[in-house]
Amino acid sequence: MGLSRRIGVDVGGTFTDLVVCQEGGSALRSLKVLTTPEAPARGVLEGIRAIGPGADRIAHGTTIVTNAIIEGRGAVTALITTRHFRDVLEIARQNRSDLYRLDLSPKPPPPIPRRFRFEVTERVAADGRVVVPLVKEELPALVGALQALGVEAVAICLLHSYAAPEHEAWLKEALTHTIPYVSASHEINAEFREYERSVTTALNAMVMPLADRYLADLEASLAREGARGSLHLLQSNGGMMSAQAARRRPLAMAVSGPAGGVAASSHLARALGLRHAIAFDMGGTTTDVCLIADGVAQTLPQRRLGGHPIRLPSLAVESIGAGGGSIIWLDSAGALKVGPRSAGARPGPACYGLGGEAATITDAHVVAGTLRPDALLGESIRVERGRAEAALVPLAARVGLPLAEAAAGALEVANAAMLRAIRLISVQRGFDLRDFVLIAYGGAGPLHAGRLARELGMRRVIVPAHAGVFSALGCVVTDLAYDRVQTYRASLGAMTSEDLNRRFLPLDAAVAEPLGAEGYGLDAITLAPSLDLRYLGQNYELEVPWRGDLNVLRRDFEALHTRLYAYATGEAIECVNLRVRALVATGEVRLPEWTGSGTGQPFSEHRAYFPETGVTSLPVYRRDDLALEQPLKGPALVEDPWATTLIYPGQRGQRDRFGNVHIEISP
Amino acid sequence: MNQRAVNPITLEVVRNAIFAIAEEMSAVVMRSARSPLLKEAGDLSSALTDARGRLIAQGKDIPIHLGVMAFTVKEFLTRIPRRQLREGDQYYLNLPEVGGNHLPDVKAIRPVFAAGRLVAFAISLAHWADIGGAVPGSYVPWATEAYQEGLRIPPIRVFTRKGAEPSAMEFILGNLRGREEREGDLLAQYAANEVAARRLGELFERYGVRTVLACFDRFRAESEAQMRAAIRAIPPGSYEGEDWVDDDGIEDRPIPVRVRVTIRGALAHLDFTGTGSQAKGPVNTTRFVACSAVYYSLKALVGPDIPANDGCYRPVRVAVPQGTVLNPSSDAPVVGGNHETSQRVVDAIFKALAPALPERITAGGPTTSGLLLFAGRRDGRWYILYEVHGGGEGAAAHRDGGHAVRVHMSNVMNTPVEVIEAEYPIEVGRHELRVGSGGAGAHCGGLGQVRAYRLLGEATLTTMLERRIVPPWGVFGGAAGLPYRITLERDGAVREVKGKETLPLRPGDLVTIESSGGGGYGAPSARPAELIENGYR
Repeated sequence: MGLSRRIGVDVGGTFTDLVVCQEGGSALRSLKVLTTPEAPARGVLEGIRAIGPGADRIAHGTTIVTNAIIEGRGAVTALITTRHFRDVLEIARQNRSDLYRLDLSPKPPPPIPRRFRFEVTERVAADGRVVVPLVKEELPALVGALQALGVEAVAICLLHSYAAPEHEAWLKEALTHTIPYVSASHEINAEFREYERSVTTALNAMVMPLADRYLADLEASLAREGARGSLHLLQSNGGMMSAQAARRRPLAMAVSGPAGGVAASSHLARALGLRHAIAFDMGGTTTDVCLIADGVAQTLPQRRLGGHPIRLPSLAVESIGAGGGSIIWLDSAGALKVGPRSAGARPGPACYGLGGEAATITDAHVVAGTLRPDALLGESIRVERGRAEAALVPLAARVGLPLAEAAAGALEVANAAMLRAIRLISVQRGFDLRDFVLIAYGGAGPLHAGRLARELGMRRVIVPAHAGVFSALGCVVTDLAYDRVQTYRASLGAMTSEDLNRRFLPLDAAVAEPLGAEGYGLDAITLAPSLDLRYLGQNYELEVPWRGDLNVLRRDFEALHTRLYAYATGEAIECVNLRVRALVATGEVRLPEWTGSGTGQPFSEHRAYFPETGVTSLPVYRRDDLALEQPLKGPALVEDPWATTLIYPGQRGQRDRFGNVHIEISP
Repeated sequence: MNQRAVNPITLEVVRNAIFAIAEEMSAVVMRSARSPLLKEAGDLSSALTDARGRLIAQGKDIPIHLGVMAFTVKEFLTRIPRRQLREGDQYYLNLPEVGGNHLPDVKAIRPVFAAGRLVAFAISLAHWADIGGAVPGSYVPWATEAYQEGLRIPPIRVFTRKGAEPSAMEFILGNLRGREEREGDLLAQYAANEVAARRLGELFERYGVRTVLACFDRFRAESEAQMRAAIRAIPPGSYEGEDWVDDDGIEDRPIPVRVRVTIRGALAHLDFTGTGSQAKGPVNTTRFVACSAVYYSLKALVGPDIPANDGCYRPVRVAVPQGTVLNPSSDAPVVGGNHETSQRVVDAIFKALAPALPERITAGGPTTSGLLLFAGRRDGRWYILYEVHGGGEGAAAHRDGGHAVRVHMSNVMNTPVEVIEAEYPIEVGRHELRVGSGGAGAHCGGLGQVRAYRLLGEATLTTMLERRIVPPWGVFGGAAGLPYRITLERDGAVREVKGKETLPLRPGDLVTIESSGGGGYGAPSARPAELIENGYR
């Protein structure tokens, strides 16, 4: 492959971000255009037109699937399941979602209502033995019923189909001629526990038609623009997939919102030779954090969305309702609270002058002086200090604090919630934060990171060079990554390494097959096998990489168990699932070297309040003006068009050759 | 009370910090305990109290533990004088009469000192998978004495600042099955309390003892003010309610649970006079569990978001006469009462308050664990399968009841069919909604469920469930739901199984449980026409 031009496009709530780069090259261009929520493909297309459509690959992050699931918009979908089990989808796990709220329904409505749930006569046992053969004669009546209901998509999920997929495969084949979209559970999630597999398959089927239409629309438009490159989509697992794969498994995009930024953080950590990092994305409404160990972002086998479990590998992102737009308020007892209500992008913080009246975290920064009123926020918004003060004055009066102290206090309250989230994914999972670097992005992340790192005992913060378009950058730097799981229950004591390697073969073939169809040779594909293991009789599993040797596997399991649970017992271990991730490196993207002018001079001075210093004056730099490795002494502000980086009193900063700003925190 | 004004910022930061401490305690227990219930079902609670044992913060406020965490340290202090406590001590206990519920829930208590004085306690509660007694797992449905239910641990010092006290540790571990696992549980709770003590120490150090204690007072005062306001929203008056426990498994007659709820201004008084006498079988429970049910009911009905702490409960008085099924003598068996009778207390309160809070209550639901316990051998190993069965939720003023769900004091998940069939010699032939089981009404009760178990080997079945005889109640003209029904089909003959029974099973036996439907709300004739049944009936 020659040098290829790539475009990354990430659609956010307000802006659609684009980056374009050359494989192995040193230039990187970026652009923001307004998102068009009513016709998502239009904003994408306008951006691509503006940045120049010619590309070998267009890598795209979209939330159309996320939004469809949260809003309960999907195709008219039916479920086909084993006789006497059609209510599995409705009974769920029989627990209620909120312990004390009697005004709410205890469970979310099932994604497919009962009259759209059908049964077929068949039964397979846990070991894959066919107990009752599939009664194929039932099919014509079933098809008639589906057609009468106007069903556009069908999910098939039979009991124990992970162990014997033949009945599902036959049904899928038989339905393909009459139903446009069919999703079979053994292809989507061949894993035991019937409720979670049913929901995952049902939701996948429900969003297949809308994903297909979106992609078809986008592909046709791109072709008209002359952008002939392949279209890749960002998945919840932080990797990309082809448009073909996305049509079969659109649900893999369901929680991809934060994935671009995490993918870019992992890439940055590897590029800078950092082992461990926390990706910290503080946006307008929410803050997302994710732990990266040994350059790899942590994943979870299951996430919840809209009340439903989605059992496809996803980045282990923890989200909290606190961001730059979070509203500061006093509760009935007079306590000062931040969020979870947010002023969002519209009307936005009071200081934007777009009609927002409530004081937000952004307003608190303006009043405390840690965000300069003249700082440009997306070139379209100018911050007005007077409006921020007017919003905060009544709150300060009610809590009886001077204005600046009240503002700094609100920031401290917001930080307390973020500290909890970061500790949850790190300290509480057995990691020592002293070994980690905090990678801060999102509009407000670089303002808060220095303080959080100090509280957490972390020694360094990095504010990436392209933080403003970090999610779009993540799309171009991350690899194709396809996941496949297969339940396989067996005691490790009863197997050999050779057995296990043999067990992985069909899985390897299944995961590589679509990649082959997309034109990737076997030599381009890296397979990363792993196993879900547990001590015999336990009810929860840990994913451990397979490195070809059972003794190594046992040791790795015990080491992981010790890190998470603080003990290992040496008892018998059993396997419950095999997993394979197929990775296709689509060409190294080197971070371009920084081309700032490097005068090293601050362009302004500003006054800010910090609890430990009182009001103090601090220099303001443009990031473009920073000289390479020029020492910066906190307090100082470093501005770029999309975010302000705050170096707190006592901290030191410097710019590296890629333009990233590093903040050192002495313990 | 410390009336010193606290900086509102500090107040919020301390609030976040103490909830984070309680969360971290729970994470430590879940990480390092060995009992599967702790990991999967999260059957544990962590809390902080002040030096007088008054609850300050409770992580993840599980209903059954509300009243327990509110009382354990207070009751502990009536047995162990404060002057006897030293930095680094940790006491363990499980006596139901010392602010407890049942023997498997073991509590570890650690006093926390700052600037040389006792300032707080950390308390960690965890459900151990075995606590000794007559059978593995310590679930003894036929018990008639507390002593059959397991080891009774009065407050005993197991750790000092020098480390574990070997004789105390040995006394506990030597009386339980699964010694290594239990040691893991015990050490997990120790570790959780140590983390709490360290984090609290940092907090006191950073903000000063007086300030943090003033914050504690504020948290209690805030919750108290919120609860008072919530109670004021209930029309004043005196309301009576009663419901019945099916039976105690020894004698075949229902046991009444009666409550008189008096609302006067911002105060609520709940008097359980008239409740049935202490039972022979294990459906007794403690007054602390009765308080859990009271606190749960008030939170659910009028204050779901009020943080659970001592202030929250100050405007609530609970009177539980001695010698009743809710306040038995210390030698009475209690293992089932914890999850069965506690639910009946909620029923009685909801029935009492229905006329006062018609928009808030739900009709009667599956207020039972619906427990079927299969025990047997497979490949030479003992297995115990605990199967709990939710049912149809009672209907409410604005909605139908949910289908096949857990309500009120319990929220344990089911076991997937694909797990049962792979790991136990049992096949599940049906797992579906029980159509027609919900009580009719303007809003209908939710549907129960049907699950059928085919035995592949010999086993013992133990049942411990309620709502088999006394059905879930309808309200304001709504019909009752169908009650639970358990049947055993053997060689073509079908017989009913009682709600508290132990019986041997043979290969080929079919045990079918149909769980209760929810009670209806309002007259069926008033049902809005637009509510389509979606094929449920």
